Amino acid sequence: MNIFSKKQDVPKSQAELIYQAQANKERHFRTNVGISWFILLFILVFTFSGQDLTIGSKTFSGIKIDTVFMANNLSFIAGGLAETIKISIMSIALAMMLALLAALGRLSTFPPIYALSTFYVSLIRGTPLYLQIFFFFLALPQLGIRLPGIIAGVLALGLNYGAYMSEIFRAALSSVGKGQREAAIAIGMTPAQTMRRIVLPQALRFAIPPTGNEFIAMTKDSALVSATGFVHELMWRSVKVGRAQFHTLEALIMAAIFYWGMTLILSYVQNRIEARLSKGDR
Amino acid sequence: MVPVIKISNLDKYFGRLHVLKDIRLDVMPREVVCLIGRSGSGKSTLLRCINFLEEPSHGSIEVDGIKVEGGEKGKLHRQLVHDVRLKTGMVFQEFNLFPHMSVLENVIEGPVIVKGMDRQKAVELAQQNLDNVGLLFKKDEYPNRLSGGQKQRVAIARALTMEPKVMLFDEPTSALDPELIGEVLNVMKKLAYEGMTMIVVTHEMGFAREVADRVLVMADGELIEDSKPADLFGSPKDPRTKALIERYRSGEQ
Repeated sequence: MNIFSKKQDVPKSQAELIYQAQANKERHFRTNVGISWFILLFILVFTFSGQDLTIGSKTFSGIKIDTVFMANNLSFIAGGLAETIKISIMSIALAMMLALLAALGRLSTFPPIYALSTFYVSLIRGTPLYLQIFFFFLALPQLGIRLPGIIAGVLALGLNYGAYMSEIFRAALSSVGKGQREAAIAIGMTPAQTMRRIVLPQALRFAIPPTGNEFIAMTKDSALVSATGFVHELMWRSVKVGRAQFHTLEALIMAAIFYWGMTLILSYVQNRIEARLSKGDR
Repeated sequence: MVPVIKISNLDKYFGRLHVLKDIRLDVMPREVVCLIGRSGSGKSTLLRCINFLEEPSHGSIEVDGIKVEGGEKGKLHRQLVHDVRLKTGMVFQEFNLFPHMSVLENVIEGPVIVKGMDRQKAVELAQQNLDNVGLLFKKDEYPNRLSGGQKQRVAIARALTMEPKVMLFDEPTSALDPELIGEVLNVMKKLAYEGMTMIVVTHEMGFAREVADRVLVMADGELIEDSKPADLFGSPKDPRTKALIERYRSGEQ
């Protein structure tokens, strides 16, 4: 009688089988991608390991790097991490405010406001970020305006990202349907109340995932601020000790690890936020 | 008796398109008026002119003693429009609940934010109205967890909690699955029997026949008929009305 195992007692529906097959395929793919990543990472680490690896008759040698130098300067370079994070957070906050204002300006029917918004976006997007950073650090002092390094850096990055992110906020604002505004108006809300209570909360939720992406990009673009020499963040510190002791390779590898690690952590957080938001929206 | 809504010589243009032509209409307190007509006849536009979601081009609208002239601008005009909106509750075809607020928050939003009502008082009133539409047990849910019929009943409760003099319904069941239409119509019926003044743009002929005191027919931007339901469905005067009713009859079978 018991030729069927317990599992087979309940026959699976067609849909269940298809779903399971798809899930298996997906899992398989992910496993293989994971293995490939591991191999690539191994090759990268090996390349800078200074070790020899013999496969058959061939011997590969890794590049020798000075680990003593790295250990000695770890705390100095890591000290720039806090500065990098500080600049990024302050800049993204400024960028979000500017982006929201620029997006609202873009939706305005009042010509001067619309013009101001498009003018700002055009000017910033039409010039290099590198130039804008030097403008705040080196051109303003010529006019007698001396800003502390970090303020100048935040202004440059914030203004730049604000212009690019205005597009995100514009899309977010237009994602809120006309019916939402009409419902708010119908219960007697003023335009300001409608914006603050109904449109903005929904638009901001829409804008959070892409803003996270911009923030991740910004942590890396903040390295450009080092070029001015006034802000001692991650990049500045690694270039400084690297040059001084002729070990730029090691110094840059360390900075790269910090940037990459930071990006991985932020991407993880970003994915979690995105998953949570999409769950609530169902 | 004084009409609660008085529409005089109302015209509405969209660009060069003349969508409402010299509309005159009085609605008495406690009256239930159904507005029917083919799509594009202007019935939704007329409804939306009453609370100025559409600004009339000419003519005037008076709601509960507040008279607003169409096509005007300025601070006084905006204040009058605001006052009219407080006297009218509106229910939309697409429900338009606020998805980032719970059911209860949706319902108290207007009283608290617009009228400045005490929050506790608003919650009591909201719960009473949610109970009336049979959805008090859903008060802490978010709208995306509700069925279409439930959403529309919450939307009705939301409008009622503003304590309007008149309720405007813009095709309230047109976006619903057929099996969910009944629960919304039942709530509307109950509201009608409780004495609410209602203007309902609808395709539900059964509802019009059973609940309406008057049925208005619109065609090409004009009110072509204004009759008691029995007269209208029994012996329609205008050939366009006749065609409309026949179309619905054949659709019902």
